[in-house]
Amino acid sequence: MGNNGQKPEVLVIPCSGVGKVHGLISREAVYHVTDKVLPGQADTVCLALLVTGDAEARQRVQETPCVTLDGCPKLCAYKNVELSGGKIAKGIRVYDVMKRHRGANFGTATALSEPGWAVVEELAAEVAKVAKNEVTV
Amino acid sequence: MAEAVSKVGIISCSGEEIPEGTIARQAVRRVLEGLRPQQTVTLCLPLFLAGEAGERRFASAHPTITVDGCDKLCAKRGTEKYSGAVSASLVVTDILGGPAHGCHRSTRNSDTADEQAVWLVAERVAAEVDHLSDQGTPAEASEDFATNTGGARCSCGGPSPGGKLAVNGRSVTIDGLPLIFQHLQRKGLQPGNQSAGTLLEIVRVYHPIEPHEEAEYREALVAAYCAHCERGSKS
Repeated sequence: MGNNGQKPEVLVIPCSGVGKVHGLISREAVYHVTDKVLPGQADTVCLALLVTGDAEARQRVQETPCVTLDGCPKLCAYKNVELSGGKIAKGIRVYDVMKRHRGANFGTATALSEPGWAVVEELAAEVAKVAKNEVTV
Repeated sequence: MAEAVSKVGIISCSGEEIPEGTIARQAVRRVLEGLRPQQTVTLCLPLFLAGEAGERRFASAHPTITVDGCDKLCAKRGTEKYSGAVSASLVVTDILGGPAHGCHRSTRNSDTADEQAVWLVAERVAAEVDHLSDQGTPAEASEDFATNTGGARCSCGGPSPGGKLAVNGRSVTIDGLPLIFQHLQRKGLQPGNQSAGTLLEIVRVYHPIEPHEEAEYREALVAAYCAHCERGSKS
């Protein structure tokens, strides 16, 4: 459920990659969307729950449009949502936004720097653009 | 057959929906970066499904600890389903004695409550790493996963950042020393001789200190902690 207890109109799902900064950026971008940009309209699902085949998590991604955020070319979020029969509205790659800040230090997989947080906000804006077509504003 | 110790694998749940998921992730990062960088390696849990055969060999190539945010045990169940049996299963809510009250999902909102929770969980994970390392694993299982999976291993196992200490004229590396100093400084430990007892007590959790070396370590730790705090105040 969304923050206000209503059924969310879009699910935003990050890869949460634990090894590199890209994974943390994807995760923080999701929180930026669910908590700040589209509170009550966007929510997330634990990707690990989908990996284990949890019935409720699968049902959620099958019934709600999903935006996936992936940090590396393995595309774990996209592939796992797809394998769960999820409705993917768009798969976004973190790297595509990071490219706009070539040479910047984005922080680490533990803590983001200011350029890292800037990428988080840009990614959230990308998600919001996609979500506009999916949510009732 | 001689026993060799393989790197210990640590797999965190992703736990995006709950603060305990973020605590699990941050605690694992702390162990990988600071507390046990030489002994540990990780893999993203979702890679078991999205990846290839190499990734699925992870738990058979390493004694593996899973760290879950809640009692759904996704990391444990996922690892066992796709990779192999785990050596230890830790759950954040068990370690904290219940839900992580006052903690946050986003690291942007992280405060003292989050920091304390992460430390508690990280220390528990580090203790489990030591336990598995002491047990040892068969030499044939100690192959380097990173070289055999085309770099599928996450690049978390780098050396501890600057954990060197000058003890009686010799240089000693202490895993996670900067993190320990940061943590104690945030907790309000003032630099100076009065900090010696606390510094010694915490550091010896992560680094063996013989009784006859205590005085030398005490002096070295006080000096290094003072320098750390001075650097912090200047920056």
